[in-house]
Amino acid sequence: MEFKLEAHRIVSISLGKIYNSRGQRGGIKLHKNLLVSLVLRSARQVYLSDPCPGLYLAGSPVPPPQPGEPAAGPPAGWGEPPPPAARAAWPEPETPPERPAGPDARRAVDAEPAAPGAGDTLQGGEAAATAEAAWRRAEVPRAAAAGGAGDPAGGADVCPEGPRAAHRPCACPPGGEAGPGALSCAPRPAKDERPVPPPGCPRKRGAAAGDGPADCPAPGSSPLKKPRRHPEEPAGGAAAEEEEMETGNVANLISIFGSSFSGLLRKSPAGGREEAEAEESGPEAAEPGQICCDQPVLRDINPWSTAIVAF
Amino acid sequence: MIGLSSSKEFEAEDGLKFTSPDFQVGEPHYSPCLLLNEFAKQPCFLEMIKADIISTVEFNHTGELLATGDKGGRVVIFQREQESKNQVHRRGEYNVYSTFQSHEPEFDYLKSLEIEEKINKIRWLPQQNAAYFLLSTNDKTVKLWKVSERDKRPEGYNLKDEEGRLRDPATITTLRVPVLRPMDLMVEATPRRVFANAHTYHINSISVNSDYETYMSADDLRINLWNFEITNQSFNIVDIKPANMEELTEVITAAEFHPHHCNTFVYSSSKGTIRLCDMRASALCDRHTKFFEEPEDPSNRSFFSEIISSISDVKFSHSGRYIMTRDYLTVKVWDLNMENRPIETYQVHDYLRSKLCSLYENDCIFDKFECVWNGSDSVIMTGSYNNFFRMFDRNTKRDVTLEASRENSKPRAILKPRKVCVGGKRRKDEISVDSLDFSKKILHTAWHPSENIIAVAATNNLYIFQDKVN
Repeated sequence: MEFKLEAHRIVSISLGKIYNSRGQRGGIKLHKNLLVSLVLRSARQVYLSDPCPGLYLAGSPVPPPQPGEPAAGPPAGWGEPPPPAARAAWPEPETPPERPAGPDARRAVDAEPAAPGAGDTLQGGEAAATAEAAWRRAEVPRAAAAGGAGDPAGGADVCPEGPRAAHRPCACPPGGEAGPGALSCAPRPAKDERPVPPPGCPRKRGAAAGDGPADCPAPGSSPLKKPRRHPEEPAGGAAAEEEEMETGNVANLISIFGSSFSGLLRKSPAGGREEAEAEESGPEAAEPGQICCDQPVLRDINPWSTAIVAF
Repeated sequence: MIGLSSSKEFEAEDGLKFTSPDFQVGEPHYSPCLLLNEFAKQPCFLEMIKADIISTVEFNHTGELLATGDKGGRVVIFQREQESKNQVHRRGEYNVYSTFQSHEPEFDYLKSLEIEEKINKIRWLPQQNAAYFLLSTNDKTVKLWKVSERDKRPEGYNLKDEEGRLRDPATITTLRVPVLRPMDLMVEATPRRVFANAHTYHINSISVNSDYETYMSADDLRINLWNFEITNQSFNIVDIKPANMEELTEVITAAEFHPHHCNTFVYSSSKGTIRLCDMRASALCDRHTKFFEEPEDPSNRSFFSEIISSISDVKFSHSGRYIMTRDYLTVKVWDLNMENRPIETYQVHDYLRSKLCSLYENDCIFDKFECVWNGSDSVIMTGSYNNFFRMFDRNTKRDVTLEASRENSKPRAILKPRKVCVGGKRRKDEISVDSLDFSKKILHTAWHPSENIIAVAATNNLYIFQDKVN
């Protein structure tokens, strides 16, 4: 438990550092931000792998979506790897009062023959990634059920659900997950809608304060804004990616979830042009605001947001 | 010498206090020769203070000159006083020789990026004529400066008078040959070359090759090789930028040429590894010739393991047989012939290991300490917090902690070794870990190439210590 608190604190501090680095003179320091992103990743892994769930996060008014999901199990229609991993990951983020059977469920799952690689990969960060994957899938049917329209990407998935400690709730219309929602029935359309982030969705991030006002800019704008787009992007994209994956390769999951704008769009048929833009807007790109936009940094912000949602 | 003045306290507009210290002429016997950045004498505002922070210190190859660069883009060069025959026991002290503005703040309009004028590194070229040459670099641009003396002035021009005004040719009745007359010594610094626009990322190192014709500059992801004569081209010799920036896992943190082999250089990474490259092997030295890495101790694993293993400085020994690396908590000496682990590891301030989280919060964990060899490669030195610096004798395995501070040092005093109390009962002269001042850090130090004279930069003060005279 202490590790969890510590990890959460470290994540908050790290995100704060990344945020502040944008304003410093001389541009973003690649080295420092890389190190901060490594810490962020370590803390996130610990946070998500700690079996003691985030009790102190349970202050949110929104009931977590978990109770319904594990009962549903991974829908047969998913057919995605690794179902055993997903199930195993699910109990982890749940709070004990809600899931007294959690540890049992996990044990049962652990005993299962896992999908290739899934059993081995269920540790630490792997579990984190699968938890994220699990959560995306979990939220998708719920969002689809809510029948929202419009918001294609991850913005919605971080918005309404889950207890979020000290996070501003996203103003995205709840359940507006046409993209991921569509995944369960028709995967391809998700991709097409992905490039446009929901304009009204305030960026949600760990503990980075002050991010609210300058949110959700138009796509293709400066890398300064890129971290804010991420939560809206990857959920749909990631869900789409999962479909394409052969095995429960968690490393892929991590990189996909952590994909920047460019990484996502590389897989999108419509994404060629935006990808070029995003590729250019690497650290050396000329963009307003600060440069040296460190992709690994961005990668780690996003999975964390979804992990927060997972609770 | 600039002159003596009494200590003054100024209070800046935002309440920040600073003190203009005395100019004390150092005596031998390990007494501090405290040299002051002259700008600190003026009433200061926050910007002024920051501009004074020394960001690099470097002796030239003979030790006669000592250059410092600061955050304001200025370079101050000190010259050692010649020993006079009268006072044979009085070692030469360092006086200000030249001051010039090396780099100015710039703005990259294309990227909307401000480029800091802070001098990241200074490297001297070996002296080949009467003038001195040094390289100074900020984040983006390297400049070659020529520092030369002028002590004669031509007088007696025919076509212009003493003030330089042109004379009316009609008034000239006789011709004379201009003569050179002595004048007050003037030291002028002129930029001879500007090597710009070759680095996308922030330059962290420069290193002059032993052929004295080329040098390299290293940023976070690339290393470029330059010829001193050519400013519009450089060769890229190392490029670790991944095709997909999302896959970035390490950056280059320091690089240096071998002191004797002009084809060999090393560069260190943020992952705690060192690569030695041979430029004869291929044009792009992405494949290393040797790879130095010590396996991580799993018992020391923490959130911050990666940060503290990042190497902040790498230095070849003068002999060229060893390299020394500095990471956050240790200094390591590596034998070039053994890649799997260092031959020596010295704990600089291991008591900080339990405080990494706090140091992460206040950003101290990102401090980049440098390390230096003495002339004979028998002693290594590096800085720490609370204005402490540490020396390790490689032969006797003894180490000492010293403090660079005005309060604790008086002229002619021998520096007293300091000790940090780790836990339990604190003895009288010890300092407990919790009372260390982490804002007082010694990141930059230099050691005279042949004598026991060290220069230690403590934020905006430069301390020069000399060895006891026999």
